[in-house]
Amino acid sequence: MADQRGQLDTSIEIITPENIAFQYHVAGPFRRLPAYLIDLLIRAVILGVAAIGAALSFGLLGLGPMWWMGAILVFGFVLTWFYGGLFETYYNGQTPGKRLMQIRVVSTNGQPINGMQAVMRNVLRAIDAQPFYLSALVASMMNDRFQRLGDLACGTMVVIEERRWFEGLMRTGEPEAAKMAGLIPADFQPSRTLARALAIYVQRRRMFSWPRRLEIARHLGEPLREKFNLPPATNLDLLLCGLYHRTFITDRGEDEIREGSPFLEMQTT
Amino acid sequence: MKVADLLETRRENWRELEQLCTLLEGPSRRKAPAPAIARFSVLYRTACADLALADAYQLPPSTVHYLHQLVGRAHNQLYRTRTFDMTTWLHELFVRVPRRLFGDNCLRLAFVVFWGVFLLSAITAYHSPEFAERVMGASMMGQLEENFSEPITGRRADIGGGMAGFYVYNNTGIGLRCFAFGLLFGIGGLYVTVFNAAAIGAAFGHMGTVPEPQHFFHFVTAHGPFELTAVVLSAAAGMRLGFSLVDTRGYTRTASLRRAADETMPTMGAAMVMFFLAALIEGFLSPSGAPYSLKAAVAVLSAGMLMFYFVILGYPREE
Repeated sequence: MADQRGQLDTSIEIITPENIAFQYHVAGPFRRLPAYLIDLLIRAVILGVAAIGAALSFGLLGLGPMWWMGAILVFGFVLTWFYGGLFETYYNGQTPGKRLMQIRVVSTNGQPINGMQAVMRNVLRAIDAQPFYLSALVASMMNDRFQRLGDLACGTMVVIEERRWFEGLMRTGEPEAAKMAGLIPADFQPSRTLARALAIYVQRRRMFSWPRRLEIARHLGEPLREKFNLPPATNLDLLLCGLYHRTFITDRGEDEIREGSPFLEMQTT
Repeated sequence: MKVADLLETRRENWRELEQLCTLLEGPSRRKAPAPAIARFSVLYRTACADLALADAYQLPPSTVHYLHQLVGRAHNQLYRTRTFDMTTWLHELFVRVPRRLFGDNCLRLAFVVFWGVFLLSAITAYHSPEFAERVMGASMMGQLEENFSEPITGRRADIGGGMAGFYVYNNTGIGLRCFAFGLLFGIGGLYVTVFNAAAIGAAFGHMGTVPEPQHFFHFVTAHGPFELTAVVLSAAAGMRLGFSLVDTRGYTRTASLRRAADETMPTMGAAMVMFFLAALIEGFLSPSGAPYSLKAAVAVLSAGMLMFYFVILGYPREE
């Protein structure tokens, strides 16, 4: 289901019960290692606090230091082997470290993990950690989802769950673009791939200098200019912006009405 | 309708869904009002529909990216992890695990390997002190001899508590490690099993040769059945995991491993219960000054419980 052979990046497609396909990015070692180190630190702090707390309360109760040692050893055992498993079970697939690094454990089919998978993948960490987590590194490099051995055995993967803000539609910013849109024949319908290319171009053109913009716009702009019978001096960058304006923002004829509207002004950041 | 207008109509929905996600991710999730949760599912479905139609709407790639992460985020709040259910675990532990283990060749192999190596090592160590020294190391041998040179008179209860904690930490940890190492095609688990069996066997064999061997045997009797069974069980579970990579029964290697993992985790649960019981007995009863007959009775009782678990609960029958 999620298997995309020949993928170039780290995206994994999930099909939900609603029959919607959406994409996750799987987390690689550079996100998971810091998460692990944070968890290690948290574990050490918890153990330290528990040791001090137990020492105080056991002292008050009049229990000897050996009781304290036994309790701390049992607590240390649970913390060592089940910290990850319990957190991932009751914290919806995340440990505090994973939450800070914005990653989450899910099943390979996109479903949430169950308690058994969570505990198992953390118990099998013992083998992944041999030697110096090299087993985990080698195993995760040999499959598309960066799964370590414990993940492979439990059918889990770690995905990135980043929060992105809704950016709204990119505006071209130049009033000339709207004018240019008026010069484009009314019957021209851009294909889906062309529309996508235009959107990406307009989103990124701000990062380029003018000569560079013209250089990039030329590949698409020249054939379009000939097709639309525009004069050779047409600014190709603006032509693409105009086409973008036409495709995404307004129809022909609406340009004059909407051009001066406060709504459009507000968006031209 | 143009994309710009479409986005304007949707933007409010998406923003509201984001806010609800933040609410559900936070600590006040359980206090979330019912209308908000109902609203969440409606908004999630509309966001799903928007994503499904993104291509038809010709949404720009940045919006599609945003929708992917929004739907993913909401998906993880709608479908949450399932926690442990006590009744299914009890059913698993007392009905399904013993039945599975009854016909498990890995358990038989682990049993034969562990006890075979144990006996061999014990007999060799009994006849040759050099062997015992090479297996255990001189310092550990000396410590064993020293610990059991005096009769067991009992010690303070708090020391028992401390030692029980140590046995939980150490022995259960060894069991879990033994299990995890089994993943290396069963060889890792086999190695750990042979190593443990040789060391324990050598200790038994060597302690048979010291002037007063009964002190040692008084100590180990009571907790022996639970502890040694748990070691064998961990080794068997690890082997089942590792051998599933070798003999895949027609599945892919990953799928075969996953099937084995589902089966072996409850087995490890049973092994851990045994380790805990053994640690309690080892911490409190074994070092106490209780008469040997009591310790032997506990050993017989625990062996009987294990027999009941493996043979009577495990005997194959109709569901």
